[in-house]
Amino acid sequence: MACFQRESPALKEILLKLYNAEKTMEIDHHLYEFGSVEYHIQSSPSDPQYAYLSISTPLLSQGVMLSHGLSHFTIQMVKEICSDVVEIIEPTKEGYQLTLRLDFAKILNSKDSEKVISEISALQAVILSTQLKEMLLSVNTQDTYQGTYKPIKLVYHPREPFFVIRQPKKIMAVFPMRFKDKSDVIIATAFFQELMDVGNSKEWSKAPPCCWSPIPPPELTGEPFEDLSTNGGFVSFDISSRHVDDKRVDKTVWSLLNFHAYVKFHVKSTRGFIQRRMRKRLEGLVQVLPKSSSEEEEEEEEEEETKKVQANAGRRSRRKLVILPKSKILKRKCGYFSRKIKKIRSRIKIHGFWRFRKRWLKMPKFSSSRGYTKLE
Amino acid sequence: MATSLRLYLTCIRNTLEAAMCLQNFPCQEVERHNKPEVELKTSPELLLNPVVICRNEAEKCLIETSINSLRISLKVKQADELENILTKKFLRFLSMRAEAFQVLRRKPVQGYDISFLITNYHCEDMHKHKLIDFIVQFMEDIDKEISELKMSVNTRGRLVATEFLKQFV
Repeated sequence: MACFQRESPALKEILLKLYNAEKTMEIDHHLYEFGSVEYHIQSSPSDPQYAYLSISTPLLSQGVMLSHGLSHFTIQMVKEICSDVVEIIEPTKEGYQLTLRLDFAKILNSKDSEKVISEISALQAVILSTQLKEMLLSVNTQDTYQGTYKPIKLVYHPREPFFVIRQPKKIMAVFPMRFKDKSDVIIATAFFQELMDVGNSKEWSKAPPCCWSPIPPPELTGEPFEDLSTNGGFVSFDISSRHVDDKRVDKTVWSLLNFHAYVKFHVKSTRGFIQRRMRKRLEGLVQVLPKSSSEEEEEEEEEEETKKVQANAGRRSRRKLVILPKSKILKRKCGYFSRKIKKIRSRIKIHGFWRFRKRWLKMPKFSSSRGYTKLE
Repeated sequence: MATSLRLYLTCIRNTLEAAMCLQNFPCQEVERHNKPEVELKTSPELLLNPVVICRNEAEKCLIETSINSLRISLKVKQADELENILTKKFLRFLSMRAEAFQVLRRKPVQGYDISFLITNYHCEDMHKHKLIDFIVQFMEDIDKEISELKMSVNTRGRLVATEFLKQFV
């Protein structure tokens, strides 16, 4: 769920480390994050008061790109993050769209420090959100062409562009959906069907109506072929003015920006759920399998043994109720069996017979007078 | 249980009971070899006519019998694409763990989703009626499991959709 968080966890950790350090640390870090975002954090003991943070993020739309990369509205929103601590540096560092000078000494209350640093870490979210917010809020009359409105292509992630189309009373956000695996397409399609059902139900009349179609909507006519070739179809939301009022605009913008990530996360977790369930079911199915007859006999014997032991314990209170392991029971049985065989195969013993044999059946000893001696 | 399913399963049970009279039979072609004849099909006189039991076009069962072995192949119903991938995933998952089932074949017969191979050794080692019970129970369980999985996936989708739309309200 990391991509749904506004703040960057890695950036937050480094800034907190800088803030909590007793002495100024020598730091020169480059961070790369989801959505082709790059951060550069610099801090050196030669300039102990300040730390520098530069950010490079792909712009949502090439149409709004200005000479320095960010619009005035975005700059304004960045300034509003925490005006005491953050200062925008001009010109920006080469290769980055925005460079900020951070003065942690101006965070007076240490309790607020984490909140302020979280806000600074969410810089990329602010930049992207303000770009989309600007589009949703401004009525761009220049885009009308012969009575129709031109779609604006927004690229949050290089492979996942989406379109915003301004219409007379609403804004339409169209998401072309692409998936690598066929099974992902089917799981996602099931999700889109549910999204359509829920979004168009009476209970959710306040939510933006949602529509899924395997073919591109007519509003996208004229767009490049590679943008319209998908395997997951097109999901469109009709955003009305009530969804972009002051209270809801932030949430709406963030939900739209993260729709692709949201769907992909759902698909991934559904696959995990199916796998878990199959694993669980396998155990149940194997238990149904009949055991071999020898195994069954062994089990029956064991049961009998246990029953016997229990019965004996009932009769004689001295005897302990012990359930022996299978191997021991087998050993004992083997011992008993071998003793029996020995008895069967041994000579018959009659009590007092040796005396009778000694007296009456004694073989006479033959002794030769001509004994011979061994020749050497 | 639906009447048609009960009849279908009863028919399979009766056929299996009739077909499962296997005996040890060494290979006629190679000396000191003892292979399931239903797989090798070396001698036609050792094979019986295969039986196909159909509930409908999408659901059928093929029972092939030989003197020392029996092969049962099942085609499980797949009403839509979601059921199709769930069935494929689940049966592939089971086939990959075939050693746990003893009688399960690693690869299904072409045109079917899952196959079992029962040899005379299995019949000697296990009780015949229990083996038949297992096959029938397996068929029932697979149907039930796939329906439940489909319902769970849809329910999850609905919940996730509701959570997403909540952000706009």
